[in-house]
Amino acid sequence: MTIMMLITLFVFVMTYIFIIMEWMNKMLAAMIGGFLIVLTGIIHQQDALMAVDWNVIFFLIGMMLVISVLKKTGVFMYIAIRTAKIARGKPIVIMTLMFVITAVLSAFLGSVTTVMILVPIVLLICGELKITPIPFIITMAIASNMGGTATMVGDPPNIMIGSATDYTFMDFLFNLTPPVVIITCVSVAMIWLMYRNKMKVSMQNRARLLSYREDTLITDKKLLLRSSIVLLLMLIALILQSVLKIETATIAMTAGLSLLLMSNRNQVENVLINDVDWVTIFFFIGLFMIVESLVVTGFIDIMAKGIIDASGGRPKTASMLILWLSGALSAIIDNVPFVAAMIPMVQKMSTYINNPTAMHPIWWSLSLGTCLGGNGTLVGASANIVAVGIASRNGFRISFRQFTQIGIIFTFNSLLISSVYLLVRYF
Amino acid sequence: MYLDSFLDARDICVNPDIQNKEQAYSMLVDLICRNHKLPICGEDLLQRLLQRDAEAPTAYPSGIAIPHIRMDDFDDILVAMMFLPQPLMFGTTKVSWVVLIITDKTSSKIYLNLVAALMALSKDTASVQALTTAEDAHAAFSIIKKLGISIKIDLYVADIMNINTVTIPPEATLRELIRLMGMHSLAGLPVVDETGLFVGEVNILSLLKVGIPEYLTRMDNLDFLVSFEPLERLLEQQDELQVKDIMTLQPIILKPETSIMEAVSEMIKHDKRYMSVVKDNKLMGVVTAKDIFHKVIQA
Repeated sequence: MTIMMLITLFVFVMTYIFIIMEWMNKMLAAMIGGFLIVLTGIIHQQDALMAVDWNVIFFLIGMMLVISVLKKTGVFMYIAIRTAKIARGKPIVIMTLMFVITAVLSAFLGSVTTVMILVPIVLLICGELKITPIPFIITMAIASNMGGTATMVGDPPNIMIGSATDYTFMDFLFNLTPPVVIITCVSVAMIWLMYRNKMKVSMQNRARLLSYREDTLITDKKLLLRSSIVLLLMLIALILQSVLKIETATIAMTAGLSLLLMSNRNQVENVLINDVDWVTIFFFIGLFMIVESLVVTGFIDIMAKGIIDASGGRPKTASMLILWLSGALSAIIDNVPFVAAMIPMVQKMSTYINNPTAMHPIWWSLSLGTCLGGNGTLVGASANIVAVGIASRNGFRISFRQFTQIGIIFTFNSLLISSVYLLVRYF
Repeated sequence: MYLDSFLDARDICVNPDIQNKEQAYSMLVDLICRNHKLPICGEDLLQRLLQRDAEAPTAYPSGIAIPHIRMDDFDDILVAMMFLPQPLMFGTTKVSWVVLIITDKTSSKIYLNLVAALMALSKDTASVQALTTAEDAHAAFSIIKKLGISIKIDLYVADIMNINTVTIPPEATLRELIRLMGMHSLAGLPVVDETGLFVGEVNILSLLKVGIPEYLTRMDNLDFLVSFEPLERLLEQQDELQVKDIMTLQPIILKPETSIMEAVSEMIKHDKRYMSVVKDNKLMGVVTAKDIFHKVIQA
């Protein structure tokens, strides 16, 4: 092992430890790591910056712009409150419907955004019904990670995989949405069994909820109509991606900029400061730089060889290995830094396996394992941390143990279903 | 700069034969118009003085009245003084010393420092006694000259802050806070512990925040909540929660030696109308945007 490799390994491990242990703001850790590898001369600045996947970066910025406008229309709050009213205030019905809505919204808005919009509303509803919101919040965090797995634009690991490979929006839809739908249905049944008889609501508290005037939430019908059209066009563009030959980032930025032009023209600076999460953006940039140093120094190659050897070069075994390994590791490591390191490794594996068709299930295993593994523990996915954070600021403490006890059941179940799906469909 | 540099013995009037405020002003106007060339003079000036007086009284409890006019097409600072051995009632305030100040429209800083110096002097009873019993204008002038009162050129937060501020200890309950805020109609106040150390600030919004769950502040629109009991939680918890639970730790503060410009800039930057003035962790006073408005802009 050369001195270069030692430095790289040291920077990589230290950065990831700082991120996992939360000893430092994760963006700061990633940026320091990213520039440390340039400073120590492991890779040139030029190469480090070239390693940043700008398609991912601009896709994220575009989506943040889209969401900043969509949020203003009040449509998400409308949906959530309408749902609670349709459920006639019955807790178990609200819980299962919220699970499904969280999953569906996460598939298109991303898990973190969905949780940020829906958790406050659920806290309000539970407060009115005088029931504990904790099971709602845990199950919604779980649903958000499942939903995010279903599409290319859902969870960040998927957009990173989509950007690094030739897979289109439709490829993700064909290959990942079916297992996620099955997993979600099974999870809803599990929730029904777990919480069916646990919550009671008085008629008086129910009446308070039913008196909500959710129709007042949509204040700007014109904006809602316009943004629905833009959203629809964006979806069509994503579906026709292989025909149109437009990259994902361009589609998202076009949608984001048009919506910005339509609604917040006078507040562009505010949107850029408040609605674009620059911390996340620079976190990604730093990670891409660090991972590039692993590629250049040959670590990724060593890891890829290791996986190939462990699986005896059989795609089926490699696929299962990746699924369960990703599931276990991304329960401990935030799934973005995890998948950032895994992507070049799987790319490297393809040079050893040398059979494009055999690589498909391996990529889908990586996505399923990484996204669904996030449910394993409280720190497995950003959505969990955000949901639990909002709850704790409102006086509902959810411990690591409390989350993990429930999360691990759903994760194990999800990975089991994913294994069966992968084995039946691809081998 | 010294106070006497702004003065001329000709503009001082000692022991005049007058009965009321109007006569006092009229005599000062005559005096100043005789000795100086002014764009507005005589009856016009007197009327403007009385009109301003009606808007905001110029007499202070320390027994000094400082009528002031800002004049267009004029570029100087003129001071005329009148000493009254028998104090007169200016409204409800007993006045034994009237100082008329005429300035141009821009020199508000010097004017404010002039007023500050005069105010300080008016609290020095021995000197005021000497001045009001001075034999003639020249005697009064030399007393002032001898006192050597300097006029500060710069104005600092310490010059305009309120010293006798209402404070609250960190252990006080929210009920006490609500009572104190109501009684003094305050929108914010500094939190000071029993040893006199400044520990933070509470304001009306940190109080109201108790009444609204945090999750509601995350929603863009709350119009749908027709039945939500407003601020129910605040009333329920007012005996349990203490000031230290809701106060702002390490708020933006000013130092006594901060300039007024800096203070205004800080207020604008942080959208904060209320600033604690702190030195060595001790609260020295409080400055509000309203103070700056009244004491600097309207002065």
